Amino acid sequence: MDSNDLIELVKRIYSTHEADIDCDTCDEQLDCLAELVAIGYDAALLLPAVQRHLDCCGSCRETFRALLCIVKAQQAGELT
Amino acid sequence: MTERSNAQWLEDLRGDAAVRDPALTDLRARLQRGIFFYLSRERSDLAGLANEEITQMAEDFAQDATLRVLDNLDSFRGDSQFTTWAMKVGVRIAITELRRSHYKDYSLDTLTANGDLQLPATSLVNAAAPDRPEAATEKSDVLQKIDAAFEDALTDRQRQALQLLMLDGVSLDEVAEKMNTNRNALYKLVHDARRKLRQHLEAQGLSPEYIMRLFEAR
Repeated sequence: MDSNDLIELVKRIYSTHEADIDCDTCDEQLDCLAELVAIGYDAALLLPAVQRHLDCCGSCRETFRALLCIVKAQQAGELT
Repeated sequence: MTERSNAQWLEDLRGDAAVRDPALTDLRARLQRGIFFYLSRERSDLAGLANEEITQMAEDFAQDATLRVLDNLDSFRGDSQFTTWAMKVGVRIAITELRRSHYKDYSLDTLTANGDLQLPATSLVNAAAPDRPEAATEKSDVLQKIDAAFEDALTDRQRQALQLLMLDGVSLDEVAEKMNTNRNALYKLVHDARRKLRQHLEAQGLSPEYIMRLFEAR
């Protein structure tokens, strides 16, 4: 572990909010969020609690990024 | 391929074989294309695989996802396109299976260095050595407090989960499986651990700004 890892750990510790949502609640909103982010909306403004969860949860973040890249490709006509 | 509204997807997939089978074929093909795109464009860890292997993986994941979608139609809330919701199911299956494959030969003991936690202070105290003596002392003092916070504020299970997720970079799904729990329970365990650590460090007078300034300064 180096200083960057420690700083990342500290950021995660201090970014904890009482109103944080769990993975299932986040997951329920990822498809809708991906469609909106793909056309330019800001996830942090649309669903701040989901964005905070994505900032802290690598598992949900990976799912969201994967889904977003597919939705963007669909909207760009790359998957037809 | 037939274009369907959300209502038409649901109606066809719940219908008799004459309408369900073509809908299943369409859905599986859409999922396969999306998953293939993700695997081939976004997964650098699969770059060494032949196109045929990735195609086969995409087919397998799409097949699993189609069955999963069919079993969970009632949970579709209609907040997005049906196909986006279904793609989310497919993506999660693909990611989970790839993680499982990656970590299949590891045990919890292996992942946590035979059970010995690698906490910040023990591994970073030496990193402070090249600084000026007073800066090195200050860093060492903060690291000791962080180390003590891990020890004093957390349960063994919380320490183990934090170690795996935040320091070792193991995925949530994998840790949940290894610790015989589920994603939600594990996330709550870690959330509570982070909250307790934050409260403990704040009680010590350690703000995040101070810690970051101290360790970012070179």
